Amino acid sequence: MNEEKTNETIIKLEGLTKRFGYGDASSYALKNFDLEVKRGEFIMIMGPSGCGKTTLLNIIGLLDTASSGTYLLNDEPASRISAKKQARLRAKKIGFIFQNFNLIPNLPVIENVALPLVYSGYHKTRRLIKASEALDRFNMKEKEYYYPYQLSGGQQQRVAIARAIVSHPEIILADEPTGNLDSHSSLAVMEELKRIHSEGNTIIMVTHNPSLTSYATRVINMLDGAIDTDVKTVKDSDLPVPVERKTPKRIFKSRKKSNPKKKKGKK
Amino acid sequence: MALLLRTHYALAKSSLKRNRTRSFLTCLGIAIGVASIILILSLMGSIKNLVSKQISDAGANLIVIRPTSTRSTVDSIVNELTTSTQYLKSNLTLKDIKTIEKVEGIAAVSPLAVSVNSLKGDTENIVPSATIVGTNPDFLKIQNLNLKKGTFLREDAETPTAVIGAKLANTLFGTAEPISKTITLLGQRFIIVGVLAEVDDPINFNNINLDDSLFVSASALNKIDNSLQIQQINVRTENTDTLEQTANTIKESLIAAKSGDTNFTVLKGEEITHPAGSLFSIISGILTLVAGISLIVGGIGVMNIMLVSVAERTHEIGIRKAIGATSGNILLQFLIESLILSLSGGFLGLIFGYVLAFLTSLITPFAPFISWQILAITFGVSLITGLIFGLYPALKAAHKSPIYSLKFWG
Repeated sequence: MNEEKTNETIIKLEGLTKRFGYGDASSYALKNFDLEVKRGEFIMIMGPSGCGKTTLLNIIGLLDTASSGTYLLNDEPASRISAKKQARLRAKKIGFIFQNFNLIPNLPVIENVALPLVYSGYHKTRRLIKASEALDRFNMKEKEYYYPYQLSGGQQQRVAIARAIVSHPEIILADEPTGNLDSHSSLAVMEELKRIHSEGNTIIMVTHNPSLTSYATRVINMLDGAIDTDVKTVKDSDLPVPVERKTPKRIFKSRKKSNPKKKKGKK
Repeated sequence: MALLLRTHYALAKSSLKRNRTRSFLTCLGIAIGVASIILILSLMGSIKNLVSKQISDAGANLIVIRPTSTRSTVDSIVNELTTSTQYLKSNLTLKDIKTIEKVEGIAAVSPLAVSVNSLKGDTENIVPSATIVGTNPDFLKIQNLNLKKGTFLREDAETPTAVIGAKLANTLFGTAEPISKTITLLGQRFIIVGVLAEVDDPINFNNINLDDSLFVSASALNKIDNSLQIQQINVRTENTDTLEQTANTIKESLIAAKSGDTNFTVLKGEEITHPAGSLFSIISGILTLVAGISLIVGGIGVMNIMLVSVAERTHEIGIRKAIGATSGNILLQFLIESLILSLSGGFLGLIFGYVLAFLTSLITPFAPFISWQILAITFGVSLITGLIFGLYPALKAAHKSPIYSLKFWG
């Protein structure tokens, strides 16, 4: 993958349509939706309830499929990616942040954060080290072995963000991450996202809070499954450049090289 | 893959531990099924062991001839069940004994004409249904029996002689040594010349309880009972090397003597240990079937619990899928959980089964019997149960849509 070039298009939607129901009873969540997302963008999607924001996010996150239209992820049509590979992409390239945090209640914080690494084939020790590092970034290190119910909402969301970024994904999808938080915690969460963005990550975030749009590089207003307004506040050329992350890549490569049998066994 | 399996295993273990009681009860269901199978297999094994021990005790030069050429095939068993073989006329006769005696290399031949009849002792004491065994003096040579008192049957005596089993002697005469007392069978008086030492061996290749039988001469019996039936002929050869050859010769000469009738079986060595009555195999088959049913019930328990577990964890499945689990990962996670349940149930059942087998051995002559086959069957059966009954819930979990599951709060 030649991802070294910055600011190329990583997501491209063309005539994307999502229909629910059949025949006369069908309704459209997305109608002929076109969108091009460049690396390093911080997009905020706003709009009334039911205008298709979450559906859009689910399709981009490979959790849902469109009824028609094409979705190119890194120039590859999503419809042609196998379900297994889609899952691997979700583990490695896409990070989800949800409004209701979606932490697994009976796993301690650190194991929740390490969960995406389980599915990308890391050893337990390695997983926990990386999860611990991610938690450290959000000042949650001392809460590693707490259970989610022992944390406040803001803390839980920080854990969820740590989980989203633990495998260093390229795209972070956030569905109203501040929806369940008070303004103080919201601000903290937004500062974290801002920091992740400044490292060159692409963030697509759905929100109902207009005051947060100041963080975004692009604000999209949706109405009835289509784009109403689309405003870029930062020039494409000024988008942050991805920070070179050496450590994780090296680990990944050395794992592959030193253990070629493992790769075969996986297939 | 191995890494993922280990992770799944750890995961499944912790999730089963969270629901300790539930997991234990589910295991118990499997354990009961497996325990009953173990118990039956152990009993069958030890019965077979008992008989084969007798055969080896009796010596390797034993040949047994039984009427009808039926072997333990399903067809013959069904046939036997539907045509009530106890009324089947045996085609072995006293003449056949003579034929066999003429075969070279034979040391002893004795018939076994078993019937049940009422016996009257000296003291007007009547045993309404005693086992009467018509045989000849050779029986003692073949059977390695000890006499507690007196001698064995004599063919040349004026009054027909009889030898009595130790237990029957007690019931009939109230004494352990009723030598020279008379006994009346079908109006004929027999003099008791010997008492057998107690052997306590109710299961043997002769299908008679020696302690509870009266032994008389088959020819004497033939005189008072015209419908004498010989159920078995025991033969001891002079040496073991020619056993096979002698068995064949016996077969050939019998066929010749009976003008081509092949309706009998000549068994030797290990073949004799095959349970004589197919009733035995039918009963053990049915018992195993019943145990199998209880195992199915246990398996349904596993499936039920796994379905509950899947439903409870729908949200978790959604989260896992959203952050990168494939359907295969989810399938494996739940399948491993049900396998742990069924395998630990199987292990528990193994222990239960042998505890039961041990308790049974305290009141019966059947010692607990362990073989690698039984262990393999236990392992295989619990593995298969776990797979079969875990597959549906696991598939159900794997096929859940992540979007639906994320919205689902169980």
